[in-house]
Amino acid sequence: MGVAIRVENLTKYYGGPGGTKALEDVDIAIDDCEFISIIGPSGCGKSTLLRVLAGLHGFDTGSARMFDAPIDRPRDDVGVVFQTSNLLPWATVRKNLTLAVEIRHGQAAAAAADVAGMIDLLNLNGFEDKYPHELSGGMKHRVAIGQALMQNPRVLLMDEPFGALDALTRDRLNVELLRLWQRDRKTVVLITHSIAEAVLLSDRVLVLSERPGRLIANLRIDLPRPRDPSVTRDLPAFGDHVVELSRIMGVV
Amino acid sequence: MARAAAPRSNPLVAAAFFLLVALAWEFGVRWFEVKPYLLPSLSAIATAFWDARGLLLEHGLVTLGEVLAGFIAAALLGVLLAAAIHVVPIARSTLYPMVIALQSIPKIGLAPLMVVWLGYGFGSKLVMAFLFAFFPIVIATLGGLAGVPSNLEEHFRALGASRWTMFRRLQVPAAMPNFMDGCKVAMPLAVIGAIVGEFVGSNNGLGNVILTATGSSQTALTFAALLAVTLLSLALFYVVELLSKFIWWRAI
Ligand SMILES: Nc1ncnc2c1ncn2[C@@H]1O[C@H](COP(=O)(O)OP(=O)(O)OP(=O)(O)O)[C@@H](O)[C@H]1O
Ligand SMILES: [Mg+2]
Repeated sequence: MGVAIRVENLTKYYGGPGGTKALEDVDIAIDDCEFISIIGPSGCGKSTLLRVLAGLHGFDTGSARMFDAPIDRPRDDVGVVFQTSNLLPWATVRKNLTLAVEIRHGQAAAAAADVAGMIDLLNLNGFEDKYPHELSGGMKHRVAIGQALMQNPRVLLMDEPFGALDALTRDRLNVELLRLWQRDRKTVVLITHSIAEAVLLSDRVLVLSERPGRLIANLRIDLPRPRDPSVTRDLPAFGDHVVELSRIMGVV
Repeated sequence: MARAAAPRSNPLVAAAFFLLVALAWEFGVRWFEVKPYLLPSLSAIATAFWDARGLLLEHGLVTLGEVLAGFIAAALLGVLLAAAIHVVPIARSTLYPMVIALQSIPKIGLAPLMVVWLGYGFGSKLVMAFLFAFFPIVIATLGGLAGVPSNLEEHFRALGASRWTMFRRLQVPAAMPNFMDGCKVAMPLAVIGAIVGEFVGSNNGLGNVILTATGSSQTALTFAALLAVTLLSLALFYVVELLSKFIWWRAI
């Protein structure tokens, strides 16, 4: 298996050296088809790192490569789910779901996309022709996730996509995400503030320190796959991982 | 933050008050024997309006044509100019200051010049309506373009959208509500522009009717023509208001 993402000695300031140092000497290697979670305290640079990987932000020193090409612009095979659900207020759920496909591959591809299947997956039946202001916060997040998934990207970058969801919906979407990932074998980088979610989903969990974000832990999660929240959570190893990560983050 | 309840206006009280003012006008004029060429009674104005309905309609249509032509030109060119200023960096530092400077010219002062340049006919009135309507539309549209939410712009960049796609699919719809606001301000101004143009030199139009009626001491007809202008302006504003119902979103 090849390397999907390789970040070396990456340092990033906002406003140039002397400004806000957001990331310091970050080294990350992510294998193709690996599921990685990144956790860390608020303001430590998680979203910044994601934007660098998405090709939206430059950086000051170090290097960032994806599939052996330097990341210097947004790539076609990367799907991004931002921390805020970025939906177009004037477009229906259906249009918002196909927006990414339409922009990347044109009207015809958007028209051919399987909206009904995605609506089913996201449990948004009956809301196809509603507008974002008619949805709850969690529903908007689901549409935003759906939009990224519809591109069938090779790399999926997600910034706290489940943050606004209740525990039940979160579990459901976690299951779906696991199922999709096991089926399509994407590389997934998930930013989350839930240690349990990170352990449940990931092959590895990376922990960033307080700002400036440095990598302070890189923990392999040895839990059998396929995973299922109701089963996996009861494994002793699951609890061990959660406790270890909590200790690293200083929560317990 | 909860807002204090606005004081309710009672429509019945309002109607009663209007009626009282009308009655005071009607009978005050008779009681004090005000000369009809100074202030005609309301009933005289109503009679004049009815008697001159053919004339008012004929000239009203002339003014309507001038207003609509000037307004539509202002809307089209206003959007184009705003887009140019927003998109082309050099336009921001050249055209924009010029727009601001031109806006500061009292447009009423340009009316005689327009008559000299374009004659007594339709053209000079169209240009006057245009001049009055143009700047509010440019300024409002620019505000809309500048106010496109940065998270949506970032989302489009992450999708690799071209500048044209970004413009068409994001900036234009996002700026539409502001553009409509600009149109609501501009429409009554376009009416004023056309009337001013007719005052300065014309053979027809409601401004011309006002001028000739006043010149021949037919004050009741002056008021009737004023009423016609007011109704025209209200009707046009209402049309814009109706159109703006189609642009219900705000991209916040
Ligand atoms: N556009 C920006 N300009 C300047 N500083 C920024 C910008 N974006 C983020 N920062 C700063 O960089 C630091 C890291 O921000 P970032 O958004 O990456 O944090 P985060 O880990 O995603 O936090 P959270 O968990 O709260 O989302 C913060 O101190 C923030 O103030
Ligand atoms: Mg963040």
